[in-house]
Amino acid sequence: MSDWMDDLLRADANASRDDYIADDGFTARVMSALPAAAALPKWRKPVVAALWGVAAVGVAVAAPGAVLDVAREAYRLLATVPVSIAGIAGAMAAIVTATGAAAAAYTLRATD
Amino acid sequence: MAEPVTDATLIARALVADDRHAFAELVKRHQSAVRATLRRLTAGNHALADDLAQETFVLAWRNLKSFRQEAKFSTWLYRIATNCWLADARKRKEELLGDRADAIAAEDDDTMPHIADEVHADHAKGATLRMDLERAMAALSEGERAAIVQCYHNDLTHEEAAYVLGCPVGTVKTHVLRGKQKLKAALEAYGR
Repeated sequence: MSDWMDDLLRADANASRDDYIADDGFTARVMSALPAAAALPKWRKPVVAALWGVAAVGVAVAAPGAVLDVAREAYRLLATVPVSIAGIAGAMAAIVTATGAAAAAYTLRATD
Repeated sequence: MAEPVTDATLIARALVADDRHAFAELVKRHQSAVRATLRRLTAGNHALADDLAQETFVLAWRNLKSFRQEAKFSTWLYRIATNCWLADARKRKEELLGDRADAIAAEDDDTMPHIADEVHADHAKGATLRMDLERAMAALSEGERAAIVQCYHNDLTHEEAAYVLGCPVGTVKTHVLRGKQKLKAALEAYGR
């Protein structure tokens, strides 16, 4: 059941809801107070690539037989696949389409 | 006409691509409601309310990953804002209590009857209801004030207010009831 205090509070709330508080630079102040984006150090990428390289060489040295087996099997698999001009053209078209679509999506997102 | 981008989309952009423009749009959308809530909670202290609102949005940015969409984004912001205000109020109280505990206790006991007298006088003079209500709200306990602000001014359900205040629904109902009783006593001139 509503009483006079209920009515009074609701009327006051309705009145104050209509009073929009203008931004007046508030958003800009908030954005300047946000912590800076964490930038990855420049040396990180080459170090990660070098570590992967070291790991690959380590595997090749530790198990040369396994690496040779994998390479031989991969070659056999690819060599037995029948290749036609139409197949190559289809694959090229698919690659070009996918690259174009990715580039368009990236451009759209960058300009949004 | 293009569909307006939803809060959820902007949150996703801010999270996935660290998109600060998307977060700025969220701030623009919700700044008025958050600042208004904090102005209510701080009993009209606009400068303090804006400082707390800024802190609220910075915390929202830092904790955006923890927003699980179980509540509306605005309700989640109210929760952060209320916590900021409570933390600040406790800090201020501790500082004051360190200086003059006895004086504060005496003032607290006198607050309600004092406002009631002034309401009678002001009402007779035709002073605005809003100012009287703001002063009476300032005399409520933090829990009572927060519950009334969330349930009436932000138009939340008791369940939503419980989420914002981080307490059981029963406690919200009790705070609202007690707060209204105190406001009635302070503003009884308007009930006549």
